[in-house]
Amino acid sequence: MKHNRNLVLAHLWLAFAVFAIAAVFGVWLMWVRSPLHAPYENPQNYFRSVTLHGVSMAYVLTTFFAMGFGYFVAETALGRDIPGIRWAWAAFVAGAIGAVMAALTVLAGDASVLYTFYPPLTASPLFYIGLVLVVGGSWVWCTIMIVAMTQWKRANPGLAVPLAMFATVANAIMWLWTTVGVAAELLFQVIPAALGWTDTVDVGMSRTLFSWTLHAIVYFWLLPAYIAFYTMAPEAAGGRLYSDTMGRLTFVLFLLYSLPVGLHHLFMDPEHSTGFKFVQTALTALVTVPTLLTVFTITASFEVAGRLNGGTGLFGWLRALPWRQPMVLATGLAFFMLWFGGGGGLINMSYGMNAMIHNTSWVTAHFHLIFGGTVVIMYFAIAYQIWPQLTGRVADADDLAQQRWQLWLWAVGMMVMTLPWHWLGLEGQWRRVAHFDYDDPLIAWWASWVDLSLLGGVILLISASLFIVNLARLHARQPAGRAGPQPLRYAVPLHPITRLPAALNGFALWNVLVLVLMAAAYGWPVGQFIAQPSPAAIVHHVDRPS
Amino acid sequence: MDRKWRVWGTLGVLAALAVGGLLGFIVLPVVQGRAAGIDAFTAICRAVGILPGSPARPTPPYHAEPQPVTKVAWTTATFEELYRADRANGARLAGERCISCHTLEGNTPDPTIPRNIGQSVFALYKQLHDFRSGSRVNETMSPLVKDLDDKQIADLAAYYGRLFRGAIDPDVSGRYAGIDIQNIVSNGDVARGLPPCSACHATRAGGPIETPTLTGQYAQYLEAQLKAFASGARHNDIYHRMRSVAAKLTSNEIRLLAIQYSGE
Repeated sequence: MKHNRNLVLAHLWLAFAVFAIAAVFGVWLMWVRSPLHAPYENPQNYFRSVTLHGVSMAYVLTTFFAMGFGYFVAETALGRDIPGIRWAWAAFVAGAIGAVMAALTVLAGDASVLYTFYPPLTASPLFYIGLVLVVGGSWVWCTIMIVAMTQWKRANPGLAVPLAMFATVANAIMWLWTTVGVAAELLFQVIPAALGWTDTVDVGMSRTLFSWTLHAIVYFWLLPAYIAFYTMAPEAAGGRLYSDTMGRLTFVLFLLYSLPVGLHHLFMDPEHSTGFKFVQTALTALVTVPTLLTVFTITASFEVAGRLNGGTGLFGWLRALPWRQPMVLATGLAFFMLWFGGGGGLINMSYGMNAMIHNTSWVTAHFHLIFGGTVVIMYFAIAYQIWPQLTGRVADADDLAQQRWQLWLWAVGMMVMTLPWHWLGLEGQWRRVAHFDYDDPLIAWWASWVDLSLLGGVILLISASLFIVNLARLHARQPAGRAGPQPLRYAVPLHPITRLPAALNGFALWNVLVLVLMAAAYGWPVGQFIAQPSPAAIVHHVDRPS
Repeated sequence: MDRKWRVWGTLGVLAALAVGGLLGFIVLPVVQGRAAGIDAFTAICRAVGILPGSPARPTPPYHAEPQPVTKVAWTTATFEELYRADRANGARLAGERCISCHTLEGNTPDPTIPRNIGQSVFALYKQLHDFRSGSRVNETMSPLVKDLDDKQIADLAAYYGRLFRGAIDPDVSGRYAGIDIQNIVSNGDVARGLPPCSACHATRAGGPIETPTLTGQYAQYLEAQLKAFASGARHNDIYHRMRSVAAKLTSNEIRLLAIQYSGE
């Protein structure tokens, strides 16, 4: 890792700086919803902050992290220079400018549209153009990833693409498919309306196009965590990856089944028929397969490591694992949170049960637990793992102890915050509401649960601050000298790859199948808006400033 | 090996799609449609989204007319009409149409018929208006007011609504029917989502404006009305207020509330 560490560092520092700022807004949001009096409390500030927190965490942190980590993997796993490095820097600059544009528009109060793109909420065009720049930058990254893998394959015919790179390209291809929905919505509906070029927005159509993006985007955030599970955690635990094929299959299944499932975000919407909702429910259920494959494979890999470390008996290997390694600890904590978050997700995706938790705090709690918990804790672990390579500084025992503290605080804070939040959602607490009247006897009992949730938020903010301190402290130290840190090694599979089918070494077949699935799942749900005139009730007339 | 992966991969994906499609487009709509009395073809078309509506429920007629619970609007014109009402004409109309049941004094001895004495002008106006528009139905009252115009209704309401002589003084009336009933009157019941009766019904009429005076009314009449609200047989209460309240009361509570308000 010599050539492009500044490129990776620029991406990761930008991602984490935005994360730290957004974390402050997150705690403030919890505070406003609690019975305690928060400063600057009013509904305008609340929705402005929801937008800023959501856009920063969901779009800026994730996109820049995935891009930076992708560049790192491309260089280290393939052992080659990244192609098109100038393009990569240009994409970074464009994305950074876009992020700042979006943030300023939100702060100015011209874009309190939350972080979803649901008309009739419409923001200033600058907000959308800013986000288009971020997404445009990520498309450049996708292209670079695909080109890097293709060039490597050409130079190494017949060899298996390293799993880390295969998975990164799976994510890049998935992201290209994913962004088609929101790009179509923004370019053909929202931006023309925001600029005043059109008079109406078909809200049914825009919700459908956004749903195309809305679920797959979650997997775009998630896959870097899974890449760490498969290629970093077994090595950090001192073992081997139980099955390389399982890993490839997992990423292929994510590519296939993250996309044709977005209608499960529109179960309560009237513009879609029950049949298509059901088909997408069935396809959503298949996403559990790669998740369970991963839980099995990584647990098996850890068992191998634990037994190599001298662990015996049915569960003795668990104790023998090197939990002092932040990557191992983070993987354990991530799996713990995944059980709760994944279980909640099964309720969300069930066509019938969804009605129970629709638009309640349950939903917010769910995605905080699974994204903020399982995924982001792995972002931390990845950063800790690759920071020595990027900065040339070696972490000592004190650093590792502080990193473990930070990871524990994050997991505890996330559980304390989200479990009461789930419970309140089941009891009917609304999401996206700025103020609750806790004097009302019907909801008075919520108060102590919301306070508890806020306490979780405060713990998370402490952890987020400690994370920045940990990274900065290591970065600011004297370089380790000539020897430098050990080069990063990706996990070696237990059984060496002798021959790999083309299907697990490339994406041609899966791209065709994604096309088939998307045509089947979204063909009529999108096409109906073109084939039939929409009912007047779901066509929004754009307000004209007089 | 490459070919095997290609074939089985494709078949696997198509099989998942086919199973989902078979269940979502054919099995479920046909089964649900049968239970809802919808033929299989229509149910499938609905599940696909070619026809509107759900395969699991009969679709309500598209052009159903909305039915307001009342046609009374408390506009300045209504208030003016009541203010300018002709009580003498009201007395004459009462003599023609109301006297045999309600008596001219508004103080009927029959406990199934409400006392008009001491009642609010606005409550009387609204009820007469609702009987005429069909929002409230009673086999005796509905035909009697059918041909009255707005002015005549206002005259009648003004006549009965200003009869106070002999009325029970609401400030001293009422009968204590136990702590539980008093609690419902003053505090409601949070667990059942019941607001207190006194939120609207004061010792006199209370508010919103059409709220009737309950004190001194016959218990038998009050009980019958609460039961009618509870079952939905009477439904001229704006925003469903009385129907939602009455449906949550037990029949014993209804009886005791009627006694407490009537003072009998």
